[in-house]
Amino acid sequence: MEASRNPGIKSYLIVWNGLLYIAGAEVFLTYCGFSTHMLLAILLSFAFIEAGIGLLYFMHLKYERLSLRWALMVAVTFVLLMMNEIWPDAYRMASLALR
Amino acid sequence: MSESAAPLAEGHGATMEPSPFGIPSKKLTMWLFIASDAVTFGVVLFAYSYLRAGTPDWPAPFQFSSSIVNGMVMTVVLLTSSLTMLGAVQAAKAGRKASSLKWLSLTVLLGIVFAVLHLREWFHMFGEGWGFSKNPAGGPVLFGATFFSITGLHLMHVISGVIALIVIGIGYKVNWLDEVHVETTGLYWHFVDLVWMFVFPLLYLMNAAR
Repeated sequence: MEASRNPGIKSYLIVWNGLLYIAGAEVFLTYCGFSTHMLLAILLSFAFIEAGIGLLYFMHLKYERLSLRWALMVAVTFVLLMMNEIWPDAYRMASLALR
Repeated sequence: MSESAAPLAEGHGATMEPSPFGIPSKKLTMWLFIASDAVTFGVVLFAYSYLRAGTPDWPAPFQFSSSIVNGMVMTVVLLTSSLTMLGAVQAAKAGRKASSLKWLSLTVLLGIVFAVLHLREWFHMFGEGWGFSKNPAGGPVLFGATFFSITGLHLMHVISGVIALIVIGIGYKVNWLDEVHVETTGLYWHFVDLVWMFVFPLLYLMNAAR
């Protein structure tokens, strides 16, 4: 049945610290003078890393069966990847509008 | 008896196959809800990001000294509440009910603190003239519509989670519910935390006055 392995409170504290550091890095990078599009790409990348860490450790997906991971993640990842179709048009709008 | 120990012992259980995923049905149901809710948040956040990236005069009203610091404190509070939730789940699995309830109470408290900080930020913005279709700076009004709808959707999840945690805590205390319910609600709570990992950078940091 269910995987019984648990990372333990020490591992949780390390993950919690890591997530706080990533959030702090996001705030720091916000004021580093990147362009809007570059900053958006950086912040989205960091957010996906945080979400991945949280899913694996806080939500214990790392310790569940492989079948559950595949069943859940493939469809969600596919949908989220397909949404990235919007970016070229967003950048086109930005280059056309309100000069 | 927990569902994971004897999932199919009664009723039509003998005619049913065990779960191919090795988890209780209520936990699988929560995972499926989380997958669908992740797509819901994905849609609204991508739609917002499309508008944000495609609008050159998008407003950036958030000053570091109040709004961004407030958002950082909210991030710390919500991340810490995930840690206390893990404490509740671990204690429940180990059969330490009193300890689990203590951690659950702490999680509820942190959830309430987050909601209060969130509402304080909202009312501060209302006071400055921002609204669902109002932009006191004179630019695109879509900022207010996207900001209040997305943060409102997230806040609704937090408040729902706090209510769920209170109900689960009471049920667990009076032996109406078991440790699997605590764990399943914990999954939801962590999900709400993970969504904030997208909301804070996209809605606050991307709109910080730089």
